Amino acid sequence: MDVKRKQKFGGRSWLICALAAGLCAAALRKWQLASAFEAGTGLSVPWAPASVILTCVLVMSGAWFIILAMYQPLSRRPNTAGGAQRWDLAFLDAGDAVYPVLVVASSFLAVAASVALFPLGLRQWQEYQTAVAAELQPPSTNGVLTIATAAGALAAFLGLLQMGRDGLRPGRRGRGGYAAALPGVAGCVWLMESFRAHAANPVLWDYVPLLLAIVCGMLFFMDFAGMSAGTSKPRRLLWMAAMTLVLSIQAMVSAAAERTWGDVLLLSAQLLAAAAVLWRLPPNLENPPPINGTPIPPVQGEASIQEESTYE
Amino acid sequence: MENWEVEQGFDGGTPSEEGAAGQERDRIPEGPAPEPGAQSREAPFPGRELYLNVRVLVVMMTAFVMLFTFVARIIVVSGPSMENTLWGGDLILVWSLGYTPEQGDVVVLTQESYQEDSIVKRVIATGGQQVDIDYNSGSVKVDGTALEEPYIKEQMLVPGYGEGINHVIVPEGCIFVMGDNRNHSADSRYPSIGIVDNRCVIGRGMLVLFPLTHWKGL
Repeated sequence: MDVKRKQKFGGRSWLICALAAGLCAAALRKWQLASAFEAGTGLSVPWAPASVILTCVLVMSGAWFIILAMYQPLSRRPNTAGGAQRWDLAFLDAGDAVYPVLVVASSFLAVAASVALFPLGLRQWQEYQTAVAAELQPPSTNGVLTIATAAGALAAFLGLLQMGRDGLRPGRRGRGGYAAALPGVAGCVWLMESFRAHAANPVLWDYVPLLLAIVCGMLFFMDFAGMSAGTSKPRRLLWMAAMTLVLSIQAMVSAAAERTWGDVLLLSAQLLAAAAVLWRLPPNLENPPPINGTPIPPVQGEASIQEESTYE
Repeated sequence: MENWEVEQGFDGGTPSEEGAAGQERDRIPEGPAPEPGAQSREAPFPGRELYLNVRVLVVMMTAFVMLFTFVARIIVVSGPSMENTLWGGDLILVWSLGYTPEQGDVVVLTQESYQEDSIVKRVIATGGQQVDIDYNSGSVKVDGTALEEPYIKEQMLVPGYGEGINHVIVPEGCIFVMGDNRNHSADSRYPSIGIVDNRCVIGRGMLVLFPLTHWKGL
């Protein structure tokens, strides 16, 4: 295998490993749903093989991604006039349409989630008000958080759209990547809604996979935005993206089984965004695109590890 | 990786969108990078502080939800079934992490055969114990010994739905629960609740947090 092909495979190893781990976790989650819950009561079977193996796979995936992150080569970023490193340009490659296509597709999944969640929230609100007016026991939700999640999905749509655009044509210094904070913040509302919906559920396995996927997605988007804010953690961002992909795939299995389509769409959106980052970022970190025709030389040794902002 | 050139440097927008001054500020200079010591003190990241504050909020939100999921929760009491220990509207702290129900504990549980929302009750007996409820004397016996129950609101009467489950050996891994307001409580005596599996227990009520006038340990 020549050096170029080896580099290409090395650059894609994140995406390949994350997809493999995600599909494995999804298959285990499906097995768990079929075998690790008691029929009738829905209570989880203690130490069910599917649950144990799924936990092991998730932990091992996390550990493997830590190892990958440790050995991820990093090159010095182009400097700005102020001296700070432009890590937000690490997603740039005008010759590759995969990144923007994945992120734009992700943004449209977010807007689809918004379309699915708004009517649901309105219906919950109306049912709640009807029950209150009739002095009956009201339903457990009044729909406000569902509507807020739909609004958050709309904000995520705008943020993701901007992220896709920045892949082709980066925004002005320190602005482009901030758009990624929008899906991160929107994830807060989604997280609250998902937690509230399951707050009375004593079976943690029913909803913890979803919560973990949302949390990982939020932190992934915030780290992405951090690339433009002088708080760059490229290795951590890669780890977050990989875990977001793995956890989202397996959480989608149960969300689809429960027919919570809003969750399925939002999980798909963050899954695609994570896949886009795993596609573009590792090769760019290892072999940055040249600026104005001048290649950026990789810097060997510790000096090349620019994990923290150089602006202080 | 393909070699390519950015036609106009790394400038983001067009002059009409962002102005020449913006482009000049954002232009990536060609040539060697400046020495670290020569870095400008001028802030190169507009909105960095805002980003950092938002990140703190997101991390705090994450931490709170994880804490409430795995360690402890705050639950609002609804209904009179635990009077005079708990009142409707009381805010209680519930401990979940590593909890196994014990006799006398106030627990929060969900029995889906009864309702989807959680309920608050007191554990009368745990797995392997025998419960006998005597409505004539108004007493509850566990393994033949009458419980001293200073916490109950009033003398127990036969419920409207009949005596229900009143003589039972609690299976292993299960609990028998009752409300402190015995005459206004749907609990293990009530057939659709019955004996409760330990796995249905969310956690143990530890503290009444609010209102402050009700502040106490449970």
